[in-house]
Amino acid sequence: MLEHGAVAPQLFNGLVLGAFYAIVAIGLSLIMNLTGTINMAHGSFMTLAGYLAYAMVSRGTSFWFALLVAPIIALIVAVVIERTLIRRLYGRDPVYSLLLTFGLSLIAEGIYHKVFTANSVPFSPPPALAGTVALGFMNFPAYRLFIVFVLVVVFVLLALFLNYTRFGLRLRAAVQDTEMITALGTNTQVLYAINFGLGILLAGIAGVLASGLLGLNPTSGNTLLMPAFVTVIICGMGSLYGSLVGGLLIGVAQSLMTLFIPPASEVVMYVLMAVVLTIRPRGLFGEEGVFG
Amino acid sequence: MSNIDRRTFVKRAGLGAAALAGGMPAFIPRLGEAADAIKIGVIEPYTGTYAFPGENETRGIEMAVDAWNKRGGVMGRKIEIVKEDDAANPQQAAQKARKLVNQDKCVSLVGTVSSGSSISVSGAAKDMGVVFMATGGHTDDVTGKNCSWNTFRVCHSTWMEAHATASTLMKKFGKKFYFITPDYAFGRSLQVAFEDVLKKNGGSVAGLDYTPLGTTDFSSYLTKVEPAKPDALIVIVQGDDFTNCMKQANQFGLLKKIPVGGPQAELEPLWGLPPEARVGFWGIEWYYKSDKCLGVGNAAAHSFIGEYNRRYMKKGDNKATPPTARECFGYVGMDRLLHAMSEAKSTDSVKVAKQLEGEKFTTIFAGSSYFRREDHQLMWPMWVAELRPNGSPGDPSDIFNVQDIHPADQIEQSVAEKSKICKIAYPT
Repeated sequence: MLEHGAVAPQLFNGLVLGAFYAIVAIGLSLIMNLTGTINMAHGSFMTLAGYLAYAMVSRGTSFWFALLVAPIIALIVAVVIERTLIRRLYGRDPVYSLLLTFGLSLIAEGIYHKVFTANSVPFSPPPALAGTVALGFMNFPAYRLFIVFVLVVVFVLLALFLNYTRFGLRLRAAVQDTEMITALGTNTQVLYAINFGLGILLAGIAGVLASGLLGLNPTSGNTLLMPAFVTVIICGMGSLYGSLVGGLLIGVAQSLMTLFIPPASEVVMYVLMAVVLTIRPRGLFGEEGVFG
Repeated sequence: MSNIDRRTFVKRAGLGAAALAGGMPAFIPRLGEAADAIKIGVIEPYTGTYAFPGENETRGIEMAVDAWNKRGGVMGRKIEIVKEDDAANPQQAAQKARKLVNQDKCVSLVGTVSSGSSISVSGAAKDMGVVFMATGGHTDDVTGKNCSWNTFRVCHSTWMEAHATASTLMKKFGKKFYFITPDYAFGRSLQVAFEDVLKKNGGSVAGLDYTPLGTTDFSSYLTKVEPAKPDALIVIVQGDDFTNCMKQANQFGLLKKIPVGGPQAELEPLWGLPPEARVGFWGIEWYYKSDKCLGVGNAAAHSFIGEYNRRYMKKGDNKATPPTARECFGYVGMDRLLHAMSEAKSTDSVKVAKQLEGEKFTTIFAGSSYFRREDHQLMWPMWVAELRPNGSPGDPSDIFNVQDIHPADQIEQSVAEKSKICKIAYPT
């Protein structure tokens, strides 16, 4: 029952969803690349930023200010946790940091539950973004367009940061060879902390934006985490652009699937993952030299 | 450390994914139990999309237990509950049911919001020979195809929900509906029942999407609604899925163009919506602020609400919410179970089940009701309400404007029809 003109809106929907997956996947993969930490608490940091923004907005702060400040507070919390807890497990089997961050995510969920109850809180985008915009083939919510805009800006800034700043270059060098960069006099502990914070900053921005779209409750961050993990696997580690393409690919695949077999829209990303792992085990954009 | 090869990495990420999907079992021992207490197991979703209704059913259950304990318990023994989280996952629910009976020595089970869990707990309880009071899973099968001597259901069946609301919605909106329906037991059985009414009255389906439970982005489905040109959009998804669906329908401008409604709306997700997305006509199962639901001068209802307010509506707590249908399910289910044990003077499952059957009673809703002997469905009315986005003056939570009442015998299948699907057989 495919009607004429049904595909374009789904492509567009998929790109918006995919942009979320991409930005979360980039954060995950930044942290995983440098320190080998699988951050199971990534979703909790997204939720944290969402709740912080909600708390600010419901006390009369503007949405724009909250969008800027909430992710920064999440970043500060993240760096404190990284320095006091996660740091101690670097160099050990990744299961340790996985268990630690998983535990942290359970604690975080419990805290959100106590403070904000299990119910979704009504977090709405500002009135300026409430309407729809005519795109020709469909009327698209202004808020979703705004999300695309913000995520594109974030992505460009990140690419500039990693490619053209001294710090960004050190970060990438450290991913290639930590020992060498330490020998050359770079303080890798600072790199680790800032890198973790950067990953969480991205998660925080996605978290605030997602709250106005996908709802905000103690576990809402985790709903974006699974597709982000799959994105990292599909696209291959080490490539910023890979995460972007991988995220968009999954978003579009899910969205198009709703035209044909809606109940399969959740499964499609795992099918994609299986196919990619079978024919190209290092992922679509995995860099051969670095990742074997 | 940085030189992770591809294979190691995939293993690690897979480990992460497995941990995400599996969750963690609860093995915390419980201390200080009185030896002679009667223990009852409560299984509810305390995490996931149905966490809030799960918590509310528990409140109702605890209020009933406290009321009985205050009166001296059942047969002079105190009542204790042991709570477990099923995360709305049927496998986990059945596993928790076995743990509660085998390890914690619970004599009966109460609970579950999810229909899938209700069916799996009902099956596990039957195997173990204990009574299961199904408080909140609506799918027909609980008191239909899967009915059994040990399971009693408080909330309405999906058949009742569809038959209470479909004709009203057709009168108000027209004959061509677009459906967004959750893809599991509850949604599928509600869809069948709703279409049954629709087709008998000359209506048709303009479109239908079965969405996976836990869907967060409904944009792909919502963009298909307008081109299908339905007379109304029928939203059957529940919990956080409902919140997301309605919130996004509003962002797409759909709620201003197409009327919306459905066979079941619950206060929990509605309170999570911005006022502009609280629109439409919906089937409801109980309401704290309407004499049509509570019954004029019903002392039991008013003392229940009074007690609830004392416990949970603390002044200055802006997160406090009034009781919902979930508190009603939990309270009525646990209260009747304890009443039956007390009358039967036994915790023997067969004796308690026989005691529950057929007895007429009045409780915290209007009129009298009973668990039907032939299928163990609680026979009580449903109501249709229009949403009032901003509540009433002085009570922003008061968002239902209750309109019609639909008596149980007019909306549930007759005993004759039911007997073709369900036969209650006691163990011999």
